[in-house]
Amino acid sequence: MSLTGACYRSIRLALVAWMTLVLLAAFSFGGLLLNVPRIPILEHTARNLYFHVPMWFTMMALTAMAAWQSFRCLKTGDLECDMRARAAVHVAILFGVLGLLTGSYWAHYTWYEGTDIWWNFDPKQTMAAVQVLIYGAYFALRNSLDEPEKRARISAVYNVFAFVTVPFLLYVLPRQMESLHPGAEGNPAFSEITHPVMRLVFYPAIAGFIGVAWLLYRQRVRTYRLEAAADRRGSEALIGHMH
Amino acid sequence: MRRWLSAAWALLQKDLQLELRSRYVVNVLLVFVLSALLVVALAAGGDALDARIQAGLLWIVILFAAALGLGRSFVAEEERGTVLLLRLNATGTTVYAGKLVLSFVSVLVVNSVLLGAFLVLFSVEVARPGLLMVTIALGTLGLAGATTLLAAIIARTARRGPLLPMLLFPLLCPLLLSAVSATHLSLSGVPLGTWRAAADSLLAMAGFTGVVISASVLLFDYVWHD
Repeated sequence: MSLTGACYRSIRLALVAWMTLVLLAAFSFGGLLLNVPRIPILEHTARNLYFHVPMWFTMMALTAMAAWQSFRCLKTGDLECDMRARAAVHVAILFGVLGLLTGSYWAHYTWYEGTDIWWNFDPKQTMAAVQVLIYGAYFALRNSLDEPEKRARISAVYNVFAFVTVPFLLYVLPRQMESLHPGAEGNPAFSEITHPVMRLVFYPAIAGFIGVAWLLYRQRVRTYRLEAAADRRGSEALIGHMH
Repeated sequence: MRRWLSAAWALLQKDLQLELRSRYVVNVLLVFVLSALLVVALAAGGDALDARIQAGLLWIVILFAAALGLGRSFVAEEERGTVLLLRLNATGTTVYAGKLVLSFVSVLVVNSVLLGAFLVLFSVEVARPGLLMVTIALGTLGLAGATTLLAAIIARTARRGPLLPMLLFPLLCPLLLSAVSATHLSLSGVPLGTWRAAADSLLAMAGFTGVVISASVLLFDYVWHD
């Protein structure tokens, strides 16, 4: 993936415009164009759908990307793939934390309205927190490996290994347990309870957040490249100095 | 296939012999699980615990024991300086298979003792002993399967100390949750078909174990060779 600066900047500009429209649509009140259906307790908090759910879609996309880059790294031994996997995991953790925050904040005023609860051990919520921890451990593992090639290979193995266990966390177990999330045991699935008007904002929001994640990911990759180049120059200068 | 089996068997025999000579891992783990159980019993202060809490405590002790004992298998090879010879003489998958069976057997031995002590200390009544045994065996296999690859990973790192629990605990959450709910069912039982009620959890455990072991077999070579 080699993008010229101009191409990258125009994609960024398009994304900014896109996200501005999404945000405007998400908060358009008073029946201007996209009002949300008013359901008791939920009321306007239903708009959290545009933020909370895309966070998870984005995190899934990023972890899939990270696993793919790690897989490529194992096949080719290319350090560039390792950088990309690292950047993807980094941004994935950010979106995971945002997903947890938006979910827990929203649930405090809806599911647990009238109580003092911020965090209840809802299976899906807990599993998502576990997934963030799994990817946090990825960075701890990286820190305990010094040699770049070895670090790339070993952390790629861990990343692929972690990715194959994620479906159990997010899809198998939460469906076997009682949960307040849609699609859990006895609850209607997302598609049955979401009003068509909300989908007009929801799907563009998913695309927009994935785009934002892509921008952040590119930024991180470029930073890592510069850091690696600076390291190389530094060690060359050091060797030159010693001669 | 025949040669592969005999190579894996030879590696397992070597490790079993070393373990039988020193009994290091099994002894450490036995002392650990028994003292952990005593601490739990003291903390409960003689109160009768709910079956769900009992199941949870049992699996927490098992998980900590595994994180403590199983990290040794590859680190020991590095410390003895035998890892290079092993790398030259054996293929990755045979090493993995040998270590996996060794981990499984040693944790199974420890878990059987733990289970006996647990049943006596907490005076637990088991509604479905067969289900309990199947759950423990399946859970142990999943535990050994995930831990073997991670143990090989941490043997390659510089700072090994607290790394294994940190990598292991979040990854094992799915297995642990299913194991706890199956154990809970086996302790308390349900009027109509305990086995059928536990089928979901057992299937999830079997699926997790299968996925983890297949992924480990495919990935092991990348950890094992330089």
